[in-house]
Amino acid sequence: MAVAMCMAKIWRPSGGLGQAALLLLRRPGARGLARFHPSRQQQQFPSLDDKPQFPGASAEFVDKLEFIQPNVISGIPIYRVMDRQGQIINPSEDPHLPQEEVLKLYRSMTLLNTMDRILYESQRQGRISFYMTNYGEEGTHVGSAAALDHTDLVFGQYREAGVLMYRDYPLELFMAQCYGNVSDPGKGRQMPVHYGCKERHFVTISSPLATQIPQAVGAAYAAKRANANRIVICYFGEGAASEGDAHAGFNFAATLECPIIFFCRNNGYAISTPTSEQYRGDGIAARGPGYGILSIRVDGNDVFAVYNATREARRRAVAENQPFLIEAMTYRIGHHSTSDDSSAYRSVDEVNYWDKQDHPISRLRQYLLNQGWWDEEQEKTWRKQSRKKVMEAFEQAERKLKPNPNLLFSDVYQEMPTQLRRQQESLARHLQTYGEHYPLDHFDK
Amino acid sequence: MQPLGTFKIGQTQKMNLFQSITSALDNSLAKDPTAVIFGEDVAFGGVFRCTVGLRDKYGKDRVFNTPLCEQGIVGFGIGIAVTGATAIAEIQFADYIFPAFDQIVNEAAKYRYRSGDLFNCGSLTIRAPWGCVGHGALYHSQCPEAFFAHCPGIKVVIPRSPFQAKGLLLSCIEDKDPCIFFEPKILYRAAVEQVPVEPYKIPLSQAEVIQEGSDVTLVAWGTQVHVIREVASMAREKLGVSCEIIDLRTITPWDMDTVCKSVIKTGRLLISHEAPLTGGFASEISSTVQEECFLNLEAPISRVCGYDTPFPHIFEPFYIPDKWKCYDALRKMINY
Repeated sequence: MAVAMCMAKIWRPSGGLGQAALLLLRRPGARGLARFHPSRQQQQFPSLDDKPQFPGASAEFVDKLEFIQPNVISGIPIYRVMDRQGQIINPSEDPHLPQEEVLKLYRSMTLLNTMDRILYESQRQGRISFYMTNYGEEGTHVGSAAALDHTDLVFGQYREAGVLMYRDYPLELFMAQCYGNVSDPGKGRQMPVHYGCKERHFVTISSPLATQIPQAVGAAYAAKRANANRIVICYFGEGAASEGDAHAGFNFAATLECPIIFFCRNNGYAISTPTSEQYRGDGIAARGPGYGILSIRVDGNDVFAVYNATREARRRAVAENQPFLIEAMTYRIGHHSTSDDSSAYRSVDEVNYWDKQDHPISRLRQYLLNQGWWDEEQEKTWRKQSRKKVMEAFEQAERKLKPNPNLLFSDVYQEMPTQLRRQQESLARHLQTYGEHYPLDHFDK
Repeated sequence: MQPLGTFKIGQTQKMNLFQSITSALDNSLAKDPTAVIFGEDVAFGGVFRCTVGLRDKYGKDRVFNTPLCEQGIVGFGIGIAVTGATAIAEIQFADYIFPAFDQIVNEAAKYRYRSGDLFNCGSLTIRAPWGCVGHGALYHSQCPEAFFAHCPGIKVVIPRSPFQAKGLLLSCIEDKDPCIFFEPKILYRAAVEQVPVEPYKIPLSQAEVIQEGSDVTLVAWGTQVHVIREVASMAREKLGVSCEIIDLRTITPWDMDTVCKSVIKTGRLLISHEAPLTGGFASEISSTVQEECFLNLEAPISRVCGYDTPFPHIFEPFYIPDKWKCYDALRKMINY
């Protein structure tokens, strides 16, 4: 007794924390004991039982020396709803989306595919400076986008244009950004495919990888505080998941209890680097539990699997204020970008397999055909129609001027500082004398 | 909140620097329900006691610890700010800001510009203890303002005193652009003055002439302002020289007009900072002043700075740009 009293004096939890700790332990919650926090366990300290007392872990002692074997031969299984031929495998997993919705998914994916083909080609022809296609990953975009609320905030990496397409971002604005023309809401400041849209809650893309991950977590924290009934979804590739920012984001989301979905597109390559050189563990999904995050691996080429997982993750993230990790397995059919020729590091056969045998668009089309919601005639009409829409937007975008060069200087700060105004004036004077050496004819006056 | 020009003092309280910071943070959280404070160890009050009492007063969802990860702290803060809420991030020592450099320079600073003003993180403020402290050595003494001065899109602010700190910090928090606020740690307890209890703002990008003079312009920021103040006294006593003293306050965007106006009057400029000489912010000031005031200069512009070494431990008394070094440089300038 005397010993216990004496030791109690040496370490006392601060009054506030102690009280809160006890309340938390007694509270039956959605999370119950699953989100057990070791430091909240200790109601009496020190216990004289021969049990571990360490604040850092909640575990039993063991007297056998054994290293935990990471399981990479038989990893986390891949959830799917449809087989590769678009047949529902387990009817109880069919989300039974209405015809209109499934057609919207299909049209979004195919319109994106058409836009990709035309804009990729336009780069080859020197009309735009750069482009990145989404071939093979369209299912990850629309399946997840369809499961969100319209106001859920999206932080992407750069290969998620289908999310914007699903949210009805006009072709004119996709093109305007790629051309950097006078209609670009981004005011021509970034390379192509760095889209952003405030009304559609899609945060502007930036080139550095994984930087969006801790930002998305902060946004989710603010959404939780605002009681907005909103979640944040954060997309990234399996390569970006190696960045320190990914680790930071996962850990913050878990410790700060943020309503966020981490959506990893594992498409097999980070430019030329295959997954075998990117990680040695069981992909990205296996990292989630290390942070205390509920995680799942899904077939990213199965729109319904992506939809179901995202929908359930969203429901629980809002209800329970905790993060979810979805690793969507897929394949990058296209090159990394127009600056890449992937034949340098992978076989044409490999690419063809995915294009022909396991493509999100074909699988959904097969589902539509099986349902009697689509046929060859509609396919032909839609292909013609979507191509026409894209070509029209494209030709218009080409013809437009670029923004006024004064827009080089604005938005660095909310108010332009004196120094910068002087630099702007200096350029204006320079152009008065040397203007003929600059492409002023293509820019708005 | 009153801007300083129309300021009626109202009730003041004796506060040291860390208390004036607490007061500013208290005012912010009281006024702005979206404002949150986070970083390592802020919950119990912070390693320098800047956040004492705030968690109890405003709740654990508003004043909270994060895991030990500066890139996470800043990235997280950017995300909060993107939603329009006010994010006040603490980095435990300016020496540890570098893991967050990418988030600050590549993300925060460029958020508004790259999105065409669709998105911004203006409601982010990053605070960090800064500068020499007598025994801090390489990793508890750094002054990294020059790294950030080179980055358009952020503001960098450094106060010299408790009264200045509260007004400048409140301006940073309300500023529509992301700000970094460096707090001279050696002054946390040592600097004490009467500070208004109510909120007030001191404008950013405005240098302050804290003493007028006619022969030499002395420019510094943070702790070093007090050093050059002493140097000005020494100059008046020993040399009969009248010094004009300027506290730059905002490093970027900086108030070149006030500095140039002073140099046009005096013809001589001495700039002093603890940070290493090469590439330090004195270089930017010197370069600009010689462009704008070339014909007014009576002597080369003098920079008295730390040496181009990491910040040493036992050699600190020899490393720092103390009043003797500044006095000597001033004397040489007068006799040029």
